[in-house]
Amino acid sequence: MIYVIGLSHHSSPVTIRERFAFADARVPVALSALRDSRQVEEAVILSTCNRVEIYASSTLAPKNAFETLQEFLVRIHDYRDPISDEIYKLSEPQSLQHLFKVACGLDSMVLGETEILGQLKKAYEVALQHGHTGRRLNKAFQKAFNVAKQIRTETNIQRGSVSVGSVAVELAEKIFSNLKEREVLVIGAGDTSEKTARSLLSRGARGVLVSNRSHERAVALAAELGGRAIHFEEWAKEFARIDIVISSTSAPHYILDRTKLEPLMKARKNRPLLLVDIAVPRDIEPEVNLMENVYLYNIDDLQSIADDYLKQRKEEIARCEAIIRERVRSLVEAGREAASGGMEERIA
Amino acid sequence: MAWFTDRHFFLLAVAAYGLSTVYSVFLWRSGFRQDNRVSYLLLLAGFGLHTMAMVLRGMRLHQCPVTNLYETTTFVLWTIVAVYLVVGLWHRLKFLGAFASPILFAVGVFALMPALDPTHPGRIEGTSVWVSLHAAMLSLAYGAFGLSSAAGLMYLTQERNLKFHRLNAIFSLMPPIQRLELAVGGLLLSGFILLTIGLAVGAFSLTKLNDAQVYRGDPKIIWSALVWALYLGLIIMRWKFAQRGRRFALGAIGSFVFVLLTFWGVNLLSPLHNQ
Repeated sequence: MIYVIGLSHHSSPVTIRERFAFADARVPVALSALRDSRQVEEAVILSTCNRVEIYASSTLAPKNAFETLQEFLVRIHDYRDPISDEIYKLSEPQSLQHLFKVACGLDSMVLGETEILGQLKKAYEVALQHGHTGRRLNKAFQKAFNVAKQIRTETNIQRGSVSVGSVAVELAEKIFSNLKEREVLVIGAGDTSEKTARSLLSRGARGVLVSNRSHERAVALAAELGGRAIHFEEWAKEFARIDIVISSTSAPHYILDRTKLEPLMKARKNRPLLLVDIAVPRDIEPEVNLMENVYLYNIDDLQSIADDYLKQRKEEIARCEAIIRERVRSLVEAGREAASGGMEERIA
Repeated sequence: MAWFTDRHFFLLAVAAYGLSTVYSVFLWRSGFRQDNRVSYLLLLAGFGLHTMAMVLRGMRLHQCPVTNLYETTTFVLWTIVAVYLVVGLWHRLKFLGAFASPILFAVGVFALMPALDPTHPGRIEGTSVWVSLHAAMLSLAYGAFGLSSAAGLMYLTQERNLKFHRLNAIFSLMPPIQRLELAVGGLLLSGFILLTIGLAVGAFSLTKLNDAQVYRGDPKIIWSALVWALYLGLIIMRWKFAQRGRRFALGAIGSFVFVLLTFWGVNLLSPLHNQ
């Protein structure tokens, strides 16, 4: 039977999760230690910032298997504090359902995210390479990857962006035919503007200019992003080549209004311009959105789109769970048939 | 099958355009979030029937079927569908069909009015090749203008969604507005080149007539020069004075609406085109 024991962002705070985390290099050693106990035939350890889980195959009864696995977890991390509900324990079929949900991003902090699938594949590969998996876990993990692919293509659980930065990228892709020729101007070196600029660069934006009241911070951020820093008083001079502006200064008034933008747009020959204003109070006068070829989005607009995407993803959960239930049912039945076939062979 | 004429084939083609229009309403209401294969296939079916109608008419006349208003209109519509079927091979430009279908259906129903298809008056001897080429080039030009106005409608829809922060701006499968603007510009420029060639061929064929001077003030000639100037103005404004985006899309739509509303009237007023 396949068992799961672990902690995740659902069950425990980071202060506890971090004490149970496995460094990448320690995973093979830990797997060997677990299997050396002879209580567990196969095992995979998944350790990410949001979860630490052991997937194990054992012939032990659930109660004994969970005791063994929890004792191993506590011992290997030298954890001496009392444990109540922080650690969850699942046996079949819930353990398989959990594995499939994790693979599909249904158990993730950002619903439907795909990074976890890569992490799960990596954890499985490590266990496979060191010979810690066998028929049962191989089949379960292969099925999990298969279900994740099916859910990605048949449902909308992974569609759309649920962060402000990625929504800004999607907007840019709805305006510009190609991001490769677009220049980005970051005004105000804040955390969200940095993430947004990074997202745009990762999707192919040609270059980035950074302007900040403190020129040193602009230089530092420009160096990190591989762009160029410009003095705060001079950003308007660079406007002719800019296509996307991300503004997040702490100025108490608008730094860009219609009167200032009109001549700048003429200099840009009225090419489309995306203005992303993530400052509070706002940096850009809302009136500029009335100008032709100018598209202004503030932090609330972006957040509202991200929330709608999340809502859409939540509406897909029921469909995903139905697919997972069906696939788990067929996997469990196949396992039973194989087990009864083996029994008959032994009797014969 | 003798009772089944080219007009029946065209009627069936218009019915296919009608079905595509109904499907377009569905796509519109769903915010263009679904693939537009159905619309493309309906227009492809309509195009097959439409082509059949034109081939039968051409075979009967032994020349390019552009001798009366019905034939000219069906040729223009055929061009719009033909260009769409090519452009629509690009995945996201398939939605252009949803914007072109209502135009095809409305103009198709109008063309089916019997008064627009009088008995063929006979060829203008000695000039028929040039006249056919003239009419064919102009039909292709108006087809390109028609499709550019459909692309313009698509641009305005997406631009409005982006301006008003509607979710459809992101959720829809329509192409980015910059690419749409390129499509409007490209189609309009192609149409203008074809229009210029068509008018030049027309002017040349006019010199072959014995009484060419009589037609100097023909309303259709004046109207054609006006349409040519209108599109030239749009092109100059777009490329020389950077009047891009919304204004350019509106210009493409407005110019084609002007052509649609005045084409038949001017044609009826023109002695040269009613021979």
